[in-house]
Amino acid sequence: MLLFKILSYLGGFVTISVPEECLERFINMATARGIFLWGIMETGADRVALKVRLSGVRPMRHVARMTRCRFRIEARAGLPFVIGRLKRRKTLLGGALLFMVVLYMLSSFIWEIKVTGHKRVDEQVIEQLARQSGLYRGALRWAVNERAVEDVILRQVPGLSWVSVHIEGTRARIEVVEKKLPPRDGAERPFDVVADKDGLVKEILVFSGHPLVKEGDTVAAGQVLISAAVPPPTLPDASSPETGDEQAGEVRYVHARGIVRARVWYKGYGEKKLVEKGLRRTGREITKLGIKIDDKEIILMGPREVPFQHFGQQVFSKSLPAWRNIRLPVEFITVKYFEQKPYVKRYGVKEAERLAGEEALARIRRRIPPGAGVLQVKQQVVKTAGYEDMVRVKVLVETLEDIGMEKPHRGDRGGSGAVHGERGS
Amino acid sequence: MAWKEFKNKFKRKLSDYLELPGDIMLDLPKIVLVGNLQVFIENHRGIQEYHRQLVRVVVNDKVIEITGENLALRNILPDEICVEGQIASLTFID
Repeated sequence: MLLFKILSYLGGFVTISVPEECLERFINMATARGIFLWGIMETGADRVALKVRLSGVRPMRHVARMTRCRFRIEARAGLPFVIGRLKRRKTLLGGALLFMVVLYMLSSFIWEIKVTGHKRVDEQVIEQLARQSGLYRGALRWAVNERAVEDVILRQVPGLSWVSVHIEGTRARIEVVEKKLPPRDGAERPFDVVADKDGLVKEILVFSGHPLVKEGDTVAAGQVLISAAVPPPTLPDASSPETGDEQAGEVRYVHARGIVRARVWYKGYGEKKLVEKGLRRTGREITKLGIKIDDKEIILMGPREVPFQHFGQQVFSKSLPAWRNIRLPVEFITVKYFEQKPYVKRYGVKEAERLAGEEALARIRRRIPPGAGVLQVKQQVVKTAGYEDMVRVKVLVETLEDIGMEKPHRGDRGGSGAVHGERGS
Repeated sequence: MAWKEFKNKFKRKLSDYLELPGDIMLDLPKIVLVGNLQVFIENHRGIQEYHRQLVRVVVNDKVIEITGENLALRNILPDEICVEGQIASLTFID
């Protein structure tokens, strides 16, 4: 019935009224001629109102003449009449058009510029540079080259490591990330050199500070290696403090620097099944397009059933933006199906050992810093009691690397102990 | 008249035997009542009378009289009528 209502609105319809005494004849004749009537209602004063489509009005005249009863058009409704009215009221139409044009024009300018992420750098410096490169309040939206603005700001403002310019509607957002610079006020701040990992100290070279460990010591992660607190030099006659120099008796704090190279061990584990089963992509794929309404899915394009026996899928969904608290449960979804083929691969014991070792080594290498020198690699096959269709391999890697790491000095940080859970081995 | 009655009887027997619906075989009206709010009459022969309190619809060889309050003909198609309002009664008149 809704469709019918829409159609009659689009086609236009009129409400006519006929006198009651000839209503029956009128209606019967009209329906016999295929004129569709609806909404027949007595309106009082011996007249009955009925609705008829615009296309039925002309044959209706015929009917009226034959039944000898005259009808009156009471009301008109529908799109053709709206259009006719608009044709007469040109200013209204013009106003509506003007509104659209103005709305479009106003939304094509940038009205607001927001800078976020800055702490030390002045916002005005960034805005000034953005203005020079074409992003300012009142600029045409499509005249702004975001990449160029980013480049200019990044190059001209010292102390920025990343800039992103993003235009959302009429608002431009400049996001910056500042470089983390060490304090440059010249003042020495007490910093310790602490161990980053567990290890055995091989060599220690102190530029400044007071070494707390010596070569051959075992250190744990977090242990202070070179302390910022430099104790007063031990004088030969330290037994009488009142006779000594007052200044020499105090602890000096410096920014400790130095290189502490230590032997560090890494353990890794890898395993490989002798018979490997799995799925591999064949390269064939199918895309399905659809609309999801609540839990119902309407497929616009693509197959109803996936023609592959084994497959993986990737779903991309796009939902309409939420407005205030109203969230439309409509989603456009694109699903990509990849055909997969099962495979079985058999390895020999020697080959499996090699692959498991490589896997373990690759895992270790991710943890070794780039400057470290590998001293030795030991590989060991783990034997289990029963037979297994799997090879397990343990790998031990020994490296020589700088384990020193600068950390702000804390008074209570003493000898050893892991401050962080992360350990070298 | 006897011949017509005989024909009708035969038709009814036949439609019963073949389990065909009567509205097709015998040209009878099909009436659907929705509560006391709506009446759909299919297979009608036009209307005879219309008032706010009374509607008469002609069917095959009878007249259906619908009484009630605020009756309106929602729509009229060549073979279907829909009457809306507070329906009080529906009577067949010969």
